[in-house]
Formats: sequence, C-alpha cells, structure tokens
Amino acid sequence: MAKEETWKPAKTDKSERLFQLTCVLLYSERGLTKRELFHAVDAYRNDLQSAGEDDFALNKKFERDKSDLREMGIQVTSPDPKSDPDEMRYQIASDTFAWPENIEFDAQQLQLLNLAAQVWAQASLSADANRGLVRLKGLGIEPAANDLVGFAPRLRTHEPSFIPLSQAIEERIEVSFDYRKPDGELSKRHVQPWLLRNIDGQWLLMCWDKYQKSARNFLLKRIVSKVVFRTEQINEKENELVRFALPDPELVAVAIKDLDEHTSKQVATLRVKRDTPAWFHFHLDDQSGDTADVSISFMDLHLLAEELSEYALDLKVLGPQELTKVIRSRFEAVANAHA
Amino acid sequence: MPKLKGFNSEDRYNFLLALVGYLGHRTEVSLSEVAEHFELESDYILKALRSLNDATAQVGGFEEWPFYVDIDLLDDGIVSLTTAEVIDDVPRLSTRQAAAISAGLSYLATIPEFAGNTQVQGLIEKIAAGSSRGMAEVISIAPGSVEAGADQLRQAILAGRAISCEYINRKGEKTKREIDPLRIDLTGGVWYLRGYCPVNQGVRNFLIEHMRAIELLDREISSAAQAVGEIEDATYVAEVSDTVVTVEVTPEAYRLITEFQTVSEPKDVGSGTIRSEIMVGHLPNIGRLIARYGGAARVIAPEEAKDYVRRYALAALGESAQTEAREIE
Repeated sequence: MAKEETWKPAKTDKSERLFQLTCVLLYSERGLTKRELFHAVDAYRNDLQSAGEDDFALNKKFERDKSDLREMGIQVTSPDPKSDPDEMRYQIASDTFAWPENIEFDAQQLQLLNLAAQVWAQASLSADANRGLVRLKGLGIEPAANDLVGFAPRLRTHEPSFIPLSQAIEERIEVSFDYRKPDGELSKRHVQPWLLRNIDGQWLLMCWDKYQKSARNFLLKRIVSKVVFRTEQINEKENELVRFALPDPELVAVAIKDLDEHTSKQVATLRVKRDTPAWFHFHLDDQSGDTADVSISFMDLHLLAEELSEYALDLKVLGPQELTKVIRSRFEAVANAHA
Repeated sequence: MPKLKGFNSEDRYNFLLALVGYLGHRTEVSLSEVAEHFELESDYILKALRSLNDATAQVGGFEEWPFYVDIDLLDDGIVSLTTAEVIDDVPRLSTRQAAAISAGLSYLATIPEFAGNTQVQGLIEKIAAGSSRGMAEVISIAPGSVEAGADQLRQAILAGRAISCEYINRKGEKTKREIDPLRIDLTGGVWYLRGYCPVNQGVRNFLIEHMRAIELLDREISSAAQAVGEIEDATYVAEVSDTVVTVEVTPEAYRLITEFQTVSEPKDVGSGTIRSEIMVGHLPNIGRLIARYGGAARVIAPEEAKDYVRRYALAALGESAQTEAREIE
C-alpha cells in the first residue's frame, strides 16, 4: 500500500475514477452498458482513445473496478444478467445508500464502535474497520467524550492466510491450502470455509473438509502455503470461482460444541515451582508449599507444549506422558537447530 | 481512527462517499467542524471538496455536474453542499467493514470490562443490519480470562494517577515499584500494563499477572509520563542499546516477527521461510523467546544469541544448568 499524504490530482487517481463510475451508474435509471460506461467515465474514455481497438486492458480495468466497488459494499448489479456481455447493463442496487429504518447510533455507541474498530492491529482488518467507521461518522454522530481511553484491546493476526480466508468466508468460495501437522506431515486441503475462531489468542479455521467429508478445524499458523481460491472451467476460455451454499447453522453449532467438548476432556496436570513465572501465570498465590499442582484443559497438545516451553524451568509435567514427550522433542529440535 | 498517512485510493473513495452523505444532511457547516468530525486535516477536506466540484458524468450525451459546493462560502470557511444529485446518504457498510467492526465488538464483549454492557450485543445486530448484504458470522472469539488488578489499573489511568505495586520479575524477585500507568493492552490473551517507569525514564511493559498489591497513589502521573505520545502497539519496543538478531521463521513461528519491531523488511527465503532482523533488549531473553517455537524459529546470528538459545534448550532438557539471569521486565 503506497503512502500518500496528499489528495492526488483529479482523473489520474483510482479514487476519482471509482467515484465517477459510481455517480454515472447512479444517474442512469435503466443501467448502462459497458460501452456506454467507457464513454461516460473520463479515465475509461482516455484509455479507449489511446488504446484504439484493443480494449483488453480497459476491460480488465473495468472488471477490477466493478469488483472494488462490490468489495466496498457498492452493489453493482445487472438487471438482465443473462444477456450478451456487450449488451449487459449495469446499475447500482437501489438499497445501497438506504439504511434500514431505526438504525441510529448515539454518541456513546459511536465511541464503542470506535474502540471496536481499533481492536484490529495493523495489517489485519484495520483498514476495513476504519472505512466502516468513516461511514458511520458520515451519518453525522459525534462520539462521546473519550472515557474509554487507557484501554487498548488488540486482536493480532500473525498469519497471512487470515485475510484471504475471511474474504472466502464472506464470499463463500472454496479454498485449498497446504497444511503441516506438528509431526511434519504435509497435506493439501480442500475446504469450504465457515468461520474464523479465536481461542486463547490462536486463530482457527472451522470448515467443511471436502476430502474428509466432515467438519474440521485448522490452525491458521499451520497453513504453510498461499490460500488458493478454487476455480473451475466453465467454457473454453473462462474459469469461475467455486462457490458453496451457506452452511447449515446447526452443523456449525455442532462443530463448535464438538471442539469445546474435546477441549474440556483433555486435561494436563503440572507441578509448578513456587514464585516462578509459571506460578504467577497459573495464579497460585494462595497455595502453600514449595510446589503446587494444577490441572488445565487444552485444545491441542502441541499448542500447550508451545505455551509451556516458556515455563520449562518452572514446572514438571505430571501427565499426560505424551505432553512430556512433545515438550522434550521440541527442545531437542531447538538445540539441534542451534548446535 | 483514519490516519492520513495510510490513506490509499480506496480510503479516499470511501471518504468521498461518506462526506457527501454527511454534508447532505446539513445546510452549512464550518470547515473546521468537518475536519474535526472526521479527524482529518482541513486541507485534506478542502481537496476532497474540490474533487466533488470537479466530478462530472457524461450521461446520454450531456455533461452532468452531480455536486456543487458553494465556493464563496468556502472562502469564508463554511462548507455548503448546495447540489447533490445522485447521492443523498452514506452508503451502507460493506460486508467486510461490517464483519471487521462486528468482530471487534464481539472481542470487546469477551472482555469483562464490557461483558455487562448490553449495548455491545445490540450494536452487533445493528451493524449486521446496516451492512449491504446482510451478514453471516465470519469471525468469532471465545471469551478469555480476566486478569485481577486490570480494573484497578484502568481506574488509575482514567484518574491520571500513579500507582505503586509489588512487581515480580522473571527471577521471582519481588520489588516495590512506582509506575505511571498509561494504557492496558490485551493481546493474545495476555494482559500488559504500558506505563512510564520513573527509574528507567521510559515506557515499559509490565505483565499484569506479575503485579501484586496495587495501590493508587495520591500523586498525578509525572509530566514526563504525560508527555508520552501515542504508544506503539508492538509488544517489544526497540531501543538503541538493543541487539540486532537475525532469525529465520517458518509459518508456525511468524508470530515472532510480527510481535517484534523488525529492523529490515522480512525477506522470503523460500518454501515459506522468512528471514528477518529483530531487536532484542536483553539478549539472555532470546532463549526463552525462540525455544517456544520448537525449532520453527531459528537464530542465524549473532553467535552469542545462538548460544543462549542452545543453552536454554539444553537446560530445559536437564542437560546443563541454567545459570543466566533472566529478563527483569
């Protein structure tokens, strides 16, 4: 993303082009064909003049602009979607600018929305959240005096797969990616993404696995390839994104419940040394003795091993044995990598 | 808040639409009020207004001018959009915008501070209704645990008062501290206090789980603490005395480089492995930081840092005694 501090001169900047395209579409009552739009929008007309007959690049630009508008919630629709591409008319859905009745926000609510938008740390959904906030402000409300200062809850997304996955969930597009299990086993996954869940700071993708034919959870940090939007060939020349139907809410609810039950069933027991970081981490202040035993439930053995590595010198794992083994092999890997 | 520095063309386009909707509901408003409302510079608003006046649309062979902002009034610092032909309101939220804000709200709802706040759930529903295509849940956040003491610290921040507490460092030593609290951060389930430390004369991170016997003091936070501007979000803030450490991480350990301020642009060195340089304050600390990734993070240089990591791992395996002092804060 280029950093631009000033408003770019008219007609060269994409924002001006998108804005003009929006206005032109709004003017027309029965919609405009691509050809008409190419003459109505300055930037397109200029391209058309310089490109002559070959308007392949312009067509591409138009397609991109259209999808930009849609991504920004400006619903470009076609009243006659079945017509020939050259005859197809485009317009903006009439409710794009019409907020439902009784959607009003007061000053206090805007302040909460403000804090909610700031929750997204950079490089995640912060751009979208802030654009949404600009629109809400456009409705004219002044936020209340800031008594939420001093509090900065942040959601971090360390994984590059987060943005494409959230987009695929919204658009209901099937995706594939390479997934690496903790034992190093690498496999290609092909899924219908349902939901991104944050559990104890870890991002999980809840989805329908097309190969396994069941609901599955994948940790975003174990996705080791780019997330690919799946396409299929619809005719000789064109590919289309593979979309899926809205998942049955019951199926999603069951999957969430299954994971929660799985987590509550897996318990590890630790013996923690007094007054160590682990002691404070597990809030053992009111325990007496040189050590205290603590039981915790966990979602994933390897994630727990990672968390406990931080306190390796402060505690002993009493069970399960598998956890002791995993922690050991992780440290062996560290020692080998730094030999 | 929108930051002008990061404004790209999508942001500008979005702002133009919001600005038209905003002005459409007012006959006259001062330029400074518009600037303040959107938290942007007046100059930027002026340029946007000029763009509105410049916008034309060729429709059916005619040139239409959809907007007119009164130029004479603008000279006097008054904004009046006298013509707005095609847009009379702000567009509804895009699905992505609604999803981002609504997930932010869900996150707030998982924090005890807002758990009892009935407005939050109501807002999530309103945001969904205000989005252009309706919205299915995209992101959900499971509630975490509260950190005792966070509430007291927040009160101190709101009152602008200093606090005293016992702070337990990583060696398990308790020290009595005075801190000028500035902000509470909750990230990845861990609660931190960002506060000005009079001894170190700088902003430091304190693990709230290591704070005991927190008390509000009678004094206000120091002028030095008040002078601290916006605090960086990065958990580890680099200082001149820090050591530059070169690391390589596979996706399982990307978190390491997003949590640190990196010195150079992270470089892809093939098959998902990224090489980057991070700043480490207290070098012995590197062992604990790297070891948690179980081999997915690897120190390349300097040799001294590699040694710390190896020795930490061996100590954890019980193969050598851990003698290094560990990080204080």
